[in-house]
Amino acid sequence: MAIKNEHRLKDVETIKDNFETFDYICSMEIATAVFLAYHLEKPVLIEGPPGVGKTELAKTTADMLDLPCIRLQCYEGLDESKAIYEWKYGKQLLYTQVLKETLGDILDGAKGLTESVAKLHEFGDIFFSEDFLEPRPLLKALKAEESCVLLIDEVDKSDHEFESLLLEMLSDYQLSIPEIGTIKAIPDKKPLVFLTSNNTREISDALKRRCLHLYIPFPDADLETRIVKARVPDIPPRLNQQLVTFIQELREMDLKKVPAISETIDWARALILLHTESLEPELVRQTLNVILKFQEDVETVQAELQGVTNRAVKAS
Amino acid sequence: MTEMHDTLVNFVNVLRTADIKVSPAETLDAMAALDLVGFKDRGFLKNSLSMVLSKTPEEKESFDSCFERFFTFDKFTAYNDERDNGSDDHFDDGDFDQDSNPSNSQGGKGGGEGSGQGGGEPGEEIDFQPLDPESELGKLLLSGNRMELMIKMAEAGRKVEVNQIVVFTQKGLYTRKIMDAMGLKGLQDEVGQLQEDGGRPQTHLAGRLKNARDHLREQVRDYVEKQFFLHADESGKQLREELLKKVKLSNLEKRNFKDVQEIVFKMAKKLVAIHSKRRKTFKRGQLDVRKTLRNNMQYDGMLFDLKWKSQKVDRPKVMCICDVSGSVSNYSRFLLMFLYSLAEILPKVRSFAFSSDLGEVTQLFQQTKLEDAMAKTMRDYGNGSTDYGQMLMDFRSHCLKDVDSKTTIIILGDARNNYGDPKSEILREMYDKAQRVIWLNPEPKSSWTVGDAEMKKYAPCCHQTEVCNSLTHLERVVANLLRVAV
Repeated sequence: MAIKNEHRLKDVETIKDNFETFDYICSMEIATAVFLAYHLEKPVLIEGPPGVGKTELAKTTADMLDLPCIRLQCYEGLDESKAIYEWKYGKQLLYTQVLKETLGDILDGAKGLTESVAKLHEFGDIFFSEDFLEPRPLLKALKAEESCVLLIDEVDKSDHEFESLLLEMLSDYQLSIPEIGTIKAIPDKKPLVFLTSNNTREISDALKRRCLHLYIPFPDADLETRIVKARVPDIPPRLNQQLVTFIQELREMDLKKVPAISETIDWARALILLHTESLEPELVRQTLNVILKFQEDVETVQAELQGVTNRAVKAS
Repeated sequence: MTEMHDTLVNFVNVLRTADIKVSPAETLDAMAALDLVGFKDRGFLKNSLSMVLSKTPEEKESFDSCFERFFTFDKFTAYNDERDNGSDDHFDDGDFDQDSNPSNSQGGKGGGEGSGQGGGEPGEEIDFQPLDPESELGKLLLSGNRMELMIKMAEAGRKVEVNQIVVFTQKGLYTRKIMDAMGLKGLQDEVGQLQEDGGRPQTHLAGRLKNARDHLREQVRDYVEKQFFLHADESGKQLREELLKKVKLSNLEKRNFKDVQEIVFKMAKKLVAIHSKRRKTFKRGQLDVRKTLRNNMQYDGMLFDLKWKSQKVDRPKVMCICDVSGSVSNYSRFLLMFLYSLAEILPKVRSFAFSSDLGEVTQLFQQTKLEDAMAKTMRDYGNGSTDYGQMLMDFRSHCLKDVDSKTTIIILGDARNNYGDPKSEILREMYDKAQRVIWLNPEPKSSWTVGDAEMKKYAPCCHQTEVCNSLTHLERVVANLLRVAV
């Protein structure tokens, strides 16, 4: 493979450092996944709880390599006309209308039906050529001249049929269009593919087999502190630590939806806006709705709020 | 390179015994990853292989423990050159140890070994010219060359095929075999000889050799134990599972229930996976106007490629009537367990228990844990002699009105009616109303008509009669049920 900024994928350390310059703090596993994905030319299936930066990883990789990021958001009912290609029906109709007159000239002198048809055959399937093809994300990614990052987001939301549709693309980097033939990726410019899944349903074995599997868990306290620091540079170190300790303890509690990294960052921003220096129970109570999205969760946490806050403050 | 790949294949085998599904294609991927990553950095290799080979969080967990067990060999000092090390898997591990804990590789057991051997320890006072051992193993032991020793042990292990170890009790045997293959006899002879000679240097040497030998034995035993956990422990479990699947359910003992339950869940999960996928493809129903219009744009708006709104498939209604009197209760237990594990694809299961009087236990099974529900059912319905006629009458008065053409009725019982009135005409009524009536009988077909068994009268009123006395049978029945139903 030879793509722009290839040197940024030289080894795992380099990848990690480069991600950091783009404010994406990652663990060794994540860097390894990107490294392998590029060198083995394999798609990466990223799983993990919502809000740990699955989508962000693909976007940051695109930024880092200075490549376009083509995104395909999956949903129930997504089919090939939205994901791969569609014929430009309108254009086809318009052209047939316009070309009606020319038809007479072309068939000029032809005698009988057979001859006319034979003459028409000489022109081939002009209406089913690439000029009339509307490429959708998957096809676009294959045809990207400078290579690209293809993000197939939330693949678990799509149907089983769509998963099977992806297989050809993922294993051979090619797509078959009946009227035209097989379209292959430009050698050495294969797209870097990321698939994300929230595990709302089991992804089929066939798809998993073709991918590297990366599981991103919630980060440990140390990593999370660094992430917050990178994303919210203004945060005082002491507050950062308190906040992360607080969130980490919340994740241990029995909640309907535990706060993810994105919530931690939102909270950090909110606290900065409120000119907070240190966590206080009252303040936490008021801003709790930033990190918790269900009323019953808020109620559960409020009962223990005092203790958790104090522990977080003490830990820093 | 090929040695590395051999190692990897061995590792993949270990993963498979640990219930991680690894396809050949993934093994090839792992090889490519290995070529790229190399053996230099242990953590890096672990991450890489983990991504290629294990594809769910659970699998990742077992992968971690397998990796740790497989790529560890902490007894001996680091081994530096992996190129000329033959082809045994465990040599490369030495390499890892060097990277991960160079200071530790001689610690622990290794330290104990060092003092045991006493070979060249500076603190030891020797006031005579120490003798050199003659036998090959003795030389090796006292040379302190652990690397050589390790190779020798692994080679011996391979020679006696220690990876074929199956049960725990074979450990002693294999330890012995490996020691023999390493040249124990020569060493023993020498020790004997030395003791016979009796001089001070000789006794000293004999003592050192004996210590070294005892220590070696300990190490070999450890080595064998590790191999056992790697190769046999999981496959032993698989063997047991296979056995349990075939054994007659009534012969199961209480201590096996947990295992069986696990198997049932596994089977159920497999069925769920197969059938929840299939469901989608069976569609026909309301016209989807939007989709149809869009799809027919290419035909200039002529609607001839119709698209249907995928319709929710009618799941089968299952009514399950179980005989819970003593002899048959175990079968009922597992049938119910199976059906309720399938809740995802068979949400409408109603279950009834009887020995003479029929009672519905659907709620009980949905709300309480399986064991409790079963125990309660036994207590409430398990006593009394079986009376199929009474059961059928009860069923007619309570539930026959709920039976429709989509209902499948499963009756599990031995049809031994204690010479009472079989009332097969009621079964006939059920037969006419229901989609299917399936009778599962745990007894072999030959005894279906012997004694008080009434199968002869009941069988014509069933769509299907099956012998069903093991998990495999159960699985087949339930799979069939789903196939027709979905």
